[in-house]
Amino acid sequence: MRLGAVVVVGTEELIFTKERSASECSVSTNLAVESSNAFLNEPLECIDIVGRSLVERAIERFAAIDIHDVSVLVDSKALLGVPNFRGSFGSLTVEGVSNLPSAMSRRFADYSREGVERSFVIAANTYTETDLLDLFCFHRESRQAVTNTFDKEESLPLWVVDCVKAQDMDLSGLLNRTHTNTKGASNYFIRDYVSRLRHVRDMRRLTSDILRGRCQTGPSGRQVRPGVWIDYGAEIHRRSRIVAPAYIGRESMVRADALITRCSAIERNCCIDCGTVIEDSSILPNTNVGICLDLREGVASGNKLWNLERDVMIEISDPNVMHSNPGVSVSVTKQRKRTMVGGAALRESKPNGHSMAV
Amino acid sequence: MYTPGPVIVMELPEKLTHLEVRSFLDEMQPLLEIDRPCVVLDCSQVQSMDSAGVEMLLHCLQEAMKRDGDMKLAAVPPASAVMLELMRVDRLFEVFDNSEQAVRSFQIFPSVTNAQSQPWYGAAHGLTDLKAAG
Repeated sequence: MRLGAVVVVGTEELIFTKERSASECSVSTNLAVESSNAFLNEPLECIDIVGRSLVERAIERFAAIDIHDVSVLVDSKALLGVPNFRGSFGSLTVEGVSNLPSAMSRRFADYSREGVERSFVIAANTYTETDLLDLFCFHRESRQAVTNTFDKEESLPLWVVDCVKAQDMDLSGLLNRTHTNTKGASNYFIRDYVSRLRHVRDMRRLTSDILRGRCQTGPSGRQVRPGVWIDYGAEIHRRSRIVAPAYIGRESMVRADALITRCSAIERNCCIDCGTVIEDSSILPNTNVGICLDLREGVASGNKLWNLERDVMIEISDPNVMHSNPGVSVSVTKQRKRTMVGGAALRESKPNGHSMAV
Repeated sequence: MYTPGPVIVMELPEKLTHLEVRSFLDEMQPLLEIDRPCVVLDCSQVQSMDSAGVEMLLHCLQEAMKRDGDMKLAAVPPASAVMLELMRVDRLFEVFDNSEQAVRSFQIFPSVTNAQSQPWYGAAHGLTDLKAAG
């Protein structure tokens, strides 16, 4: 039996609350999402977290159980954030969509024609480590059109659907997770690790959990000593100090006398200049941090810094302090955006990416 | 004996970037050239501060200290506090919630909180025993 998967990219509220009334939306959640968007310009799930984005981690999980028909549906408002995939995936398609339910219905119709009977659907901003095969077996035995998932807090944006039956369903109602008692749906409870990315604070928590080994997924790169992961092409000065657990991403540079400590992650193509201390922080891709600075409990991206202790974002105009490092990956993202911005029907096949080699 | 002079409270402008720093320093300079300047910078209006602003604060502190005075900060907004922390200068300044507290801090002498301890030859140490022994 062939299985498919649909991975939805774009801020959850942008996609899933179109059909909701204002009263149903959590104000605090929306504010958090809006403020996170202002900070990052792209959805959180497209940003590298210890080497790989949540989109890529979701695709990897499907690939691990031999699901090769994977579609990534990207909300047209989030096209700038089309993720870079470092792994190679067989028949992965990435599609920009303006109307998610109709795009999903189309995808399920395609899957049915291709002989894919059932499909997983997941919003990539939620990371869960549930046993996908067990979930699939549960769905098959329940003989329902759709299986909803829950954890101890609320319903999760992860479903298994019957591709034929799902075409006739009200998909917007299905995706609107306030309607959990959908007719013809069964419910599956998840007890495993779950992380929802709604705020940069959640991203820090997930980074910390990955580095401390609290979840199954691990950092990219090679573990050079217990708790210290160094990715391909990273340069670390012999006079710098990396205190475990920590991650230094691809092509990143840590200069003399710098200190990286307490669950800090330096993502790809970053530079931490001489004497700077990075403590309990994430430095997002393509960020240069200047000399002799002290960055604590924060997330830095380009010239923006979100301090989690005070919950405040500052934009730094002085490039000597912090600035964006225009790397190769940025231009690739821009190029991809130009290709995809044409409309919902435009589809781009993803060629094989570069496999990780450390 | 140290006698504190008048405390000068200055309100910092909304923007403390390299464009505004020059004019503010021109205003500040005469105030820092008096003997033992006691300055409070009220940061409540500051909305953005860059490295030039931090440098200006350090310059003012240095000038005040040269003349045996001091400079304190009041009502520092979170964003400016993050900037000071990032550039490792937060520890150099005394920071208060508001300018009144900062002004008072120049005027109040620290009270002696620890009472003088008992002399070593007190009763607790067995002086009477010593006398008796003598």
